[in-house]
Amino acid sequence: MESVLIVDDDVELCRLLAERLGPEGFAIEAVHDGLHGLERALSKEHALIVLDLMLPGLGGLDVLRRLRAQSPVPVLILTARGEDVDRILGLEIGADDYLPKPFNPRELLARIRAILRRTTQVASTAGALVAGDLRLDPAAREVWLNDTAVDLTSVEFALLESLLRASGRILTREQLTESVLGRKLGPFDRVVDVHVSNLRRKLGPAPGGERIKSVRGSGYLFVARSEADSRRKEADRA
Amino acid sequence: MRSLFLKIFLWFWATVIATGIALLFTFIFGPHNVPSRWHATLEDTARYSGIIAVEEAERGRAPAASAYLEQVARETHLRACLFDSAGGLIAGSDCGSFQSMTSHVTMANPSGFSMRYGIARVALALQGSSGREYIFATELPAGPRAAIGMERRSFVLQWGIALLVSGFICYLLTRYLTTPILRLRAASQQLAAGDLSTRAATVIERRHDELGDLVRDFDTMASRIEELVSRQRQLISDVSHELRSPLARLYVALDLGRERKGDDPAFDHMEKDIGLLSEMIGRLLTVARLDTSSQRLPMSSVDLTEIVSQIVRDAAFESRERNGGVELTAPEQFFVQGDAKLLQSAIENLVRNAIRYTEPGTPVEVLLQSERRLNTSFVRLTVRDYGPGVPESELVNIFQPFYRVSDARDRQSGGAGLGLAIAERVIRVHGGTIRAENVAPRGLRVEALLPHPPLNSREPSSSA
Repeated sequence: MESVLIVDDDVELCRLLAERLGPEGFAIEAVHDGLHGLERALSKEHALIVLDLMLPGLGGLDVLRRLRAQSPVPVLILTARGEDVDRILGLEIGADDYLPKPFNPRELLARIRAILRRTTQVASTAGALVAGDLRLDPAAREVWLNDTAVDLTSVEFALLESLLRASGRILTREQLTESVLGRKLGPFDRVVDVHVSNLRRKLGPAPGGERIKSVRGSGYLFVARSEADSRRKEADRA
Repeated sequence: MRSLFLKIFLWFWATVIATGIALLFTFIFGPHNVPSRWHATLEDTARYSGIIAVEEAERGRAPAASAYLEQVARETHLRACLFDSAGGLIAGSDCGSFQSMTSHVTMANPSGFSMRYGIARVALALQGSSGREYIFATELPAGPRAAIGMERRSFVLQWGIALLVSGFICYLLTRYLTTPILRLRAASQQLAAGDLSTRAATVIERRHDELGDLVRDFDTMASRIEELVSRQRQLISDVSHELRSPLARLYVALDLGRERKGDDPAFDHMEKDIGLLSEMIGRLLTVARLDTSSQRLPMSSVDLTEIVSQIVRDAAFESRERNGGVELTAPEQFFVQGDAKLLQSAIENLVRNAIRYTEPGTPVEVLLQSERRLNTSFVRLTVRDYGPGVPESELVNIFQPFYRVSDARDRQSGGAGLGLAIAERVIRVHGGTIRAENVAPRGLRVEALLPHPPLNSREPSSSA
């Protein structure tokens, strides 16, 4: 039984969702205002948060911002369409995916499952992935840049893991959307791109140049650079 | 000055007074010399009364001469004086102003002329029958031509100045009256063109007369219109938004019902209609957002050719059974500045609309071409169908939300008359124009013109 927190001011909708998602194996806790929602989200009792952006009191984006300062818990945001800016902003702040209202509950279920599958996945290949100064430990779900731990959300972690495993090969946006978000790429779907740009910002540039390269028209590529290679470059520069 | 009435009244009055003063000045500063052509006649006239005065003076001494001169002054309102050759006054009154002339007149230089306030003055040296010499000085009417000056150059100069001064005053007056009216007109044209934030007071100086009141009333009206329109648009937006909550619940409830009672065609029907409602609300919100958005769209370079060919591919696939296909002609790759998502939905609406109405078996033609107008280059997108067309009188209205041509075009469409409204607004926020026209023998052609950025700002074509 996975616990999911829904923060939405529509009481009736929350009740219906609890009724609908209950039999699917989710324990739903519903909270109807932002401040209380944030408090509950920080309790670490939930596997995933469904957050409506239109909330009385503390708005959804503010809840997300404060939540992300302390917790990497997966967040799915609900938006009323026509708020494209809010959606992009939500993803930039650290939401994992979004769903426009009104949504088909089966779609919501699929998204929740996809995100949970990525984030609770126990890596079968336990060995750490290393690329230059960057080290990703799938078992511990930790990322280290030199000796500093990097704070990544669950989706960013999954994204980096996919890129690292395919290091040096191009991954298309379709492939990334499918492997990281567990769904098909939609038209004008920029979710992966926002996550990649968040990841770049958090990791900073590598000693030898950019880490994640955009390949126009195809997708993204983690630039393979051996440690020796980057050392040599440093030596050259010195 | 509070009232325009008073202002106009005072201005006109001032103009008339100024004209009068100017006229007076032409007399005061008028010519002081009598044109020489007039000398002989003036001299003859003066000599006539001068000889009488001298005779009177010789006969009856001074009092008789004075009586005669007074009689002349009474009858003609012209002053005349008689002096002896040394300049001493013999007869006449109020003769001080002639004194300066008498000194110049001798037997050798027998006449002197001058002009004062438009009246000619003549001084003559006369010899009486006794042989004594006298100087007779008199005023004579010189006539307006002499008064104003006979020399062409000074005539032109004076009247030129008068015309200039009066013209300048009238120019100021007219400008003062018409400037606010013209600006008000410009403001109302801007308002009519759709810029509801236009206000006239910001461009017209603070005035406290009727024109100022008019401008302020105009602004009040403009604010009221803006408020009403924005409230109406806000209402559409709010209503659509509010409709979403029950719709979201309906979706979940429907799904719950499906889980409990198993699949039923009725559920499919409901789901389809909920989807339709949701789609319509989304479109309404798009229209409302495009109508109310005051800030500029985030623009980026968009490959229009790619978008159009994608739409044409999808549409051709979906309509392959019913229609004669969708034909795209695009000679080159066009990039425009814009929002890809909005442009996509606008063009898709145009193409789908054409597919809906074209006769079975006839194609829909989509054409992309570049065009130059007034030194600006545009991309012209043409979508043509072979359907029934639209009555000429309703061509303008088809871009209104929920507008339906009464008979020809039926309600079987799912879009509920929002597709063209969205297309029109999207093209407009991209700085373009859209229009529809019927084409012979049958069919409708919709043309959208989008600004085409100059070559250097175009992105290089995709290299990957």
